[in-house]
Amino acid sequence: MLLVVTYSRRARETLRNVCRSHEETVVRRFGRAALLRETEYGAFLACRLRERHAGDVQLERTEPFNEFADAPDAVREAAVDYAHRDSPHTPYGRFAAGTDHPDADDMRGSEL
Amino acid sequence: MSDAPAVLVRLPDGSTFEGPVVDLRGADADISPAAIRDAIRTGCPTRPDRPTVHAPLPTRVHRHVCHLAPGITVDRHAALAAVGAARGVDTPHCTDLGGVKQSLRKLSVPTVDSADLRAARRRAAAAGSATERLRERVATLRGRVEARRDDGTESRDDGVAEAEAALSEATRELSEASTERVAAAQRLAALEERARQARDTRENRLRLEDRAENLRRARRATRADAVEPAFHDARSRVESALNGRSGALDGGVTATATLCDALAIAAIAPLCAPVIVDPEVATALGGPDATATRLNAPLVIGCGDTVVR
Repeated sequence: MLLVVTYSRRARETLRNVCRSHEETVVRRFGRAALLRETEYGAFLACRLRERHAGDVQLERTEPFNEFADAPDAVREAAVDYAHRDSPHTPYGRFAAGTDHPDADDMRGSEL
Repeated sequence: MSDAPAVLVRLPDGSTFEGPVVDLRGADADISPAAIRDAIRTGCPTRPDRPTVHAPLPTRVHRHVCHLAPGITVDRHAALAAVGAARGVDTPHCTDLGGVKQSLRKLSVPTVDSADLRAARRRAAAAGSATERLRERVATLRGRVEARRDDGTESRDDGVAEAEAALSEATRELSEASTERVAAAQRLAALEERARQARDTRENRLRLEDRAENLRRARRATRADAVEPAFHDARSRVESALNGRSGALDGGVTATATLCDALAIAAIAPLCAPVIVDPEVATALGGPDATATRLNAPLVIGCGDTVVR
C-alpha cells in the first residue's frame, strides 16, 4: 500500500479532500495520514500530493510484515514468549535477563 | 444629535455629504450599498467613478454589521467575538497564544531541496533499471558463448570470439552501471535521511499551528461570552424600540430575529467607520439621528435595497 503522511495544515487539508473524493482508493485514514490502494490511481493521487506540497508530504510504500521471513527467529520467539509471560507486570528487561532472549538495547541497535 | 464622529462621503458626481449621519436618500446618483461598503473598506483614494468615504477604516466587527437591512445574516458567535476583541477583552488564551506564536517564529524547518530529492529519486530509478537490463543482457550473452563453445567445430571459432567480445563489453557496462546504482542509492539515502530529520521539525510546527488555532477558538469563545450580557441588554432595548412595529417595518419588511441581533451587536460594538442602514430600519428605530445615538456609530442612510455583507 502507499502510506501518505502530511506535515502541514494545508497538506492535511488536501489529503482530507482527496480521501473524501476518492474513497475507493483509500484503504484507511488516520488523521493526517492515509493508506492508499496500490493501484496506478493510488500512485496518481500520491504524486499529486507530493507535487503540491513537496516536503510536507511523506510517501512510503508498505508491504506486509512476515515475521518468519522479516525477523530473526530469536526476536520472534522472544516476542511470543514475552506475550505469554506469567506475570503481566514484568518488564522485558527483567523477563529476558538470564535467558537466551535478546537484549532490548541490542535489538534497538540492529537493523532488520 | 449623535456623539458619533462625523464622516464625509463624496459621490462620483462631486456632491459631498458630511456628518455623523449621512443621508443619501436625497442624492441624485444611484449608489449601491455595495459601492458604499467598498468605499468604507477601501478608504481613500478611490477611482473617480466610485464614491469615497473619509472615515476611520473599519474593524473586524464592521464586516458583520456593515449593512443593517431586513434581510441581513449574522454569524452571532463570530460577531460577538469580534466585538469582544474590539472592546479589548483580555483572555488567558491571549498570553498562551503569544507564546505559541513566538515558538512558531523561532522554529526553522531545515531545508531539503525537493528538486534535489526528486533528481536523486530519478537517478536511483534510472540506475536501477539500467542495471537490471544489463544483468539480463550479460546472462543472455553468457548463454550464447556457452552454446557456441559446445558447438565445438573449428569453423565456429570466430563465432565464439565474437560472442565472448560482446559478453566482455556487456560485463564491463554492467560493472559501471552497478557502481552508478550504488552511488545513486547512497545519495538518495542521504537526502532522505535529511528529509526525515526535517519532518520532526515540520511535525512540531504542525502541532504548534494546531495549538494556536485551538487557542484562537478558545479566545473567540471567551470574548463572545464576555460581551454576551451586554448583547442581551442591547437586544432587549432594540426589541422594545421596535415594539409596536413587531414583525413589520415600513414597506412590509420584517424585523427578523437576525436583524435584532445585528442591531444589538452594532449597538455594543465600538464603531468608528460608518455602517449602512436601510431607511425603513432607521425609521423603525425613530429616525436617522435616534438610530445613530442608539448605535453610537456614524451612519450612511439609504441607497438601494440589496443586502451586502
